[in-house]
Amino acid sequence: MLWSRRSVFLGLLLGGPVVLAAAIRIVTATTSLWRLSINGARVGGPALFGMMMWLLYIRFIVPVLGVFYGTSLIADEVDDKTITYLFTRPVPRGAILIGKYLAYVACTTLLVLPSVILVYFLVVPLGGGSIGESFPALLEDLGMLIVGLIAYGAVFAWVGARLKRPLVVGLVFAFGWEPAVLLFPGYLKQVTVAYYLQALVPHAMPQDSAVSILMQMFREVPPVATSLTYLAVIVAIALWFAARAVELKEYVLEQ
Amino acid sequence: MTSRTRYFVILSLSVVGVGVSSGLVAYYVGFPARAFASQGAEELQYVPRDASVLAYVDVREVMASELRQRVRRAMPVGHEDGQREFQNQTGINIETDIEHVVAYLQADASGGSMPGSGMVLARGLFDEVKIESLMREHGAKVEQYKGKRLIVASPNGVAPAGDPNSTDPVPRNTPPNFALSFLKPGLVAVGNADLIRHAVDLEKGGENVTSNTDLMNRVKSLDFGNAWAVGRFDVLQSAAKLPPGMNQLPAITWFSVTGRVNDAITGVVQAEARNEDAAKNLRDVVRGFLALAKLQAGSQPALQAVIQSLDLGGTDNTVALSFSVPGSVFDLMAPAREKSVEKPAAH
Repeated sequence: MLWSRRSVFLGLLLGGPVVLAAAIRIVTATTSLWRLSINGARVGGPALFGMMMWLLYIRFIVPVLGVFYGTSLIADEVDDKTITYLFTRPVPRGAILIGKYLAYVACTTLLVLPSVILVYFLVVPLGGGSIGESFPALLEDLGMLIVGLIAYGAVFAWVGARLKRPLVVGLVFAFGWEPAVLLFPGYLKQVTVAYYLQALVPHAMPQDSAVSILMQMFREVPPVATSLTYLAVIVAIALWFAARAVELKEYVLEQ
Repeated sequence: MTSRTRYFVILSLSVVGVGVSSGLVAYYVGFPARAFASQGAEELQYVPRDASVLAYVDVREVMASELRQRVRRAMPVGHEDGQREFQNQTGINIETDIEHVVAYLQADASGGSMPGSGMVLARGLFDEVKIESLMREHGAKVEQYKGKRLIVASPNGVAPAGDPNSTDPVPRNTPPNFALSFLKPGLVAVGNADLIRHAVDLEKGGENVTSNTDLMNRVKSLDFGNAWAVGRFDVLQSAAKLPPGMNQLPAITWFSVTGRVNDAITGVVQAEARNEDAAKNLRDVVRGFLALAKLQAGSQPALQAVIQSLDLGGTDNTVALSFSVPGSVFDLMAPAREKSVEKPAAH
């Protein structure tokens, strides 16, 4: 899982924010562009870090990691025609999926957390930001990202175990269904992962586009405890269905 | 697990471990006020809780800046008179002796005027003996106050009279005594004698400005600059003799100015209005002034660059005016000044 071509691509994806943060740091250190402002309001290091968390990690990297790794847990074994070897082992089929899912959680966590920490130390001191003062928010961010990876991974593991073209469906769900539903008032947003995940973010949502402003307008933030409960329920249900799908489904290997 | 995977896990956990440990250390070491992150926080113990305006300047950084050199080149004569007079009076060379200063103003509760009710705390390298002898030459008198030597000079150069140990304020119509005292090695307090005595009292204990959460929260929120000031505008407005036009401004409660001087001067002037309506009115007023200034600056390239850099912003009850004046503007000022100096000589 860790050394596939997919991982190299995702490693580059996670290196992007670090490179961006380093570039911002170098520019601010070498020029007089020490003060970043958006719409006339000053943006300090902690606020910039918050924006990067929202725009890069929460809205993009975490769903992408979930989609690419989650859907591939079983699909890769089918494509490589190695699933037969796994299924001939004297363990329940569902346990194989759960084991691969736990490996996914460990791998993605080890990929994402260092990236976030490097970005934090590069960006937060800008504009006089305090590392110590923002540290509790960093811990919340790290916790939230792990929860996000767990939740998205479980959902897409189910998609990968159940459907024939899981990647397309996963991408449509993560970047089509979820952002669209969050824009509108009503109850549909409750059938997304993002709705509960965004309630755990300690930073204010940036109003970087018309879509973000709309999301902000219709944003109902459930309490943290409620969000965590719902996410736990989503993970449990998704994993149960994924394990059941693996148990029942007849995987046909193409010759 | 392959060795490659093992190295990845070790590297990844190391980054996380070092990052979280460093963050924990930073968290438990404390939250220094951002604008005081590197230096200056110690001086706050001498500033009384009810200070109306608090300011800080990293003198060394400003004096060493490229901009300062440009200003010197652009205005080689005349601008150093005040600096020289201060040196003549106190023996302190602002350019070389001072690292940074913390200053404050205190509104006179009895309705007096603001000037004179302030104190400057300067950190640097000072020749105490030379400074004291110089001030004594100018008629200053040395007095002891709770173990500290106060060099007190009246504004007209005549030594002050009265009980030196008395902390009672000077009579209303008497101009305040100017005094200087070395509170610690390398830390000199200059300003109103009564305020310096109060600073000595505060060293022993008492409520200083760090317990003024309103003011300190605003100081903490400032961007990191090498010069800044924060204060209550409403107190200043009621206590100081501001120009009549200033009294017609929408209700402003707090103001802050922060800037960084290096090869350019960048900064933000921020005002906090009493409510959103007042902030909107203030924005309209500033916008009007900006439009007028743009019209006036039409033929003056130096002024044009300054005006172009102004950016009005702010949210809710805050109005922010940011600016960035490149150092080249001061080069443009130089020919204008040369012309103005040459003109009288031609007659």
